[in-house]
Amino acid sequence: MFRSTGSGLLVARIAWASLLRRRTRTVLVVLMIAMSLWGLLFMQGLYEGMYEQMIDNAIRSGSGHLTIYAKGYRLEPDIKKLITNIEEVARFLAKDQRVASVVSRINQEALAATANYSRNAKVLGVELGAEQKHGRLADYLRQGELAFGPKARGAVVGSGLAKKLKISLGHKLVLSAQATDNEVSAIALKVRGIIKTNNLAIDDGAVFIDQAKAAEFLGIGAGVTQVCVILHSEEEMVPLQQALRQKFTDLEVFRWDELYPALMQSRVMMEGFSYVTYLLVFAVAALGIFGVILVSILERIREFGIMLAIGTEFALIRKIVLFESFIIGFLGYLSGSLLGGLTLNYFRVHGLDLTAFSEGLDAFGLDAIMYSIIKPDYFVTAFLAVLLATILSVIFPLRVLKKARPIEAITKL
Amino acid sequence: MSEFLQVKDISKVFNPEQEFEVAALSGINLAIGRGEFVVISGPSGSGKTTLLNIIGGLDAASGGAVILDGLTLTDLAEKELCLQRRDHIGFVFQAYNLIPVLTARENIEYVMKLQGKSQQDCDARVVEIAEKLGIAQLLNKLPNQLSGGQQQRVAVARAVASKPKLILADEPTANLDSGTAAELMAMMEKLNREERITVIFSSHDPMVIAKARRSIILRDGRVVQNEITP
Repeated sequence: MFRSTGSGLLVARIAWASLLRRRTRTVLVVLMIAMSLWGLLFMQGLYEGMYEQMIDNAIRSGSGHLTIYAKGYRLEPDIKKLITNIEEVARFLAKDQRVASVVSRINQEALAATANYSRNAKVLGVELGAEQKHGRLADYLRQGELAFGPKARGAVVGSGLAKKLKISLGHKLVLSAQATDNEVSAIALKVRGIIKTNNLAIDDGAVFIDQAKAAEFLGIGAGVTQVCVILHSEEEMVPLQQALRQKFTDLEVFRWDELYPALMQSRVMMEGFSYVTYLLVFAVAALGIFGVILVSILERIREFGIMLAIGTEFALIRKIVLFESFIIGFLGYLSGSLLGGLTLNYFRVHGLDLTAFSEGLDAFGLDAIMYSIIKPDYFVTAFLAVLLATILSVIFPLRVLKKARPIEAITKL
Repeated sequence: MSEFLQVKDISKVFNPEQEFEVAALSGINLAIGRGEFVVISGPSGSGKTTLLNIIGGLDAASGGAVILDGLTLTDLAEKELCLQRRDHIGFVFQAYNLIPVLTARENIEYVMKLQGKSQQDCDARVVEIAEKLGIAQLLNKLPNQLSGGQQQRVAVARAVASKPKLILADEPTANLDSGTAAELMAMMEKLNREERITVIFSSHDPMVIAKARRSIILRDGRVVQNEITP
């Protein structure tokens, strides 16, 4: 047992001893706070991981952090609205240290048809080598290979589109689309790969073909319809967007959140969800500490009365009560954070396998294996929530105690 | 002997202006000198505890004044009264009232710690008092590991450790057997003599009353006898 010197240690000594004296109750409240915190961290990390995964899929497989179009293309996509100064754009981006990778694409709406079925599709004329580095397209490959084969007469098809057309590897697919001369052009391709990105726009409609073949098929002499840029850091998105807008006034530059507002909304929704969850954890922690401290004070009213009688100032007793609640709150926070951090780290590495629900998740463009993320913010916010809960939960018990006069407290049995 | 403690026309009414109004004390006047060993006795309900509580500043009087060493306690605000209790008055309660989570040593040094005394001073004083009261071997025990008599000795040690001017003991032997009660009274008498502390205690017990050098008897909230015993 340690020897206390000074009122600070005296406060700590009495508070700690009081908590130990009622250790079962103390442990239960600490567990209650820890479990709520664990639940909060787990839910938040997993949900944030889930939507960050959705955003990442959209960025990697679709827009990149920034997308460049010719002026007017986004509102009225037209194969004649081309980025013709592609080499100048490429040179500008190649010099910028913030840029991680760049790809160019030729996009055109098309009709994809087999002998029995036809569906609307989107032709994506790409350079496979660059795409693989850019969006790690190979990670999304579910069947076949990521290649266009001899004479570039192969295609890689989105999994949803393949399902709708009832095609698989080796099947023939005919694409018809309007070319730059306004005539309908057609091309027959063989399915060489099927990809699943969980970006619904890609999965349900994309047909990747060789860029040179696309240019030939659509009658494009020079130029592309889209340039996608991935950055080293999302924070550089706005400055680079502004720089590109200034440099290339004949082009339009969009951020991913401008192109996918629904994804951005889901991020905002998740933040709202997080606040609600924090509120719940805060309420659980506050009620737990409040209950324990109130009961503890009512049980010890005589003990506090003795202390007041022999000359203890109320301020010291207030410190004891606050210290007790801080210890409870801090231990709860510490164990909850540790448990939550370890759980999140496990699911960050191994992922939460929800393949049993994959069809339902597919409908929302979600991956069947969800990877959580961990942000220092979680722990800071949780700490502040527990701290606030601790302070608020002792206000009423302290008011009860403040009203107790030593003589009344001592005579209370 | 100088008038160390003056109690002037003290009255106490519980539930004033209500149906069950009780006049616990009326017109109490006392003058007690420094270093006296005083007993307040009287039947149950005579107002002994109420008087001790008012003298010690634990309860407010309905009228009158308590002056301790020139300072009118009854005029002080609660915070100042608290500091006066801490620095000048030691309490011994019938039910011992030790702080249950602290060891005997920590209970004894508690008030000294509140006063900001150094650990060295506390240690020296604890050893000195514990030896006088024969509790040196009990210092590391918690109150619930001690007998009633041992707890009361620790309570006495706590009351005297900070060298107060006045000790107020409300029926300190009521929960003790006669042998232990006699021992405790002998110790309090010794402390009164050696430490020059004024001691006022209440009791029903004739053996305890006989130890006092001044006897005050209350009946129905009034002093009916106040005399120096031979």
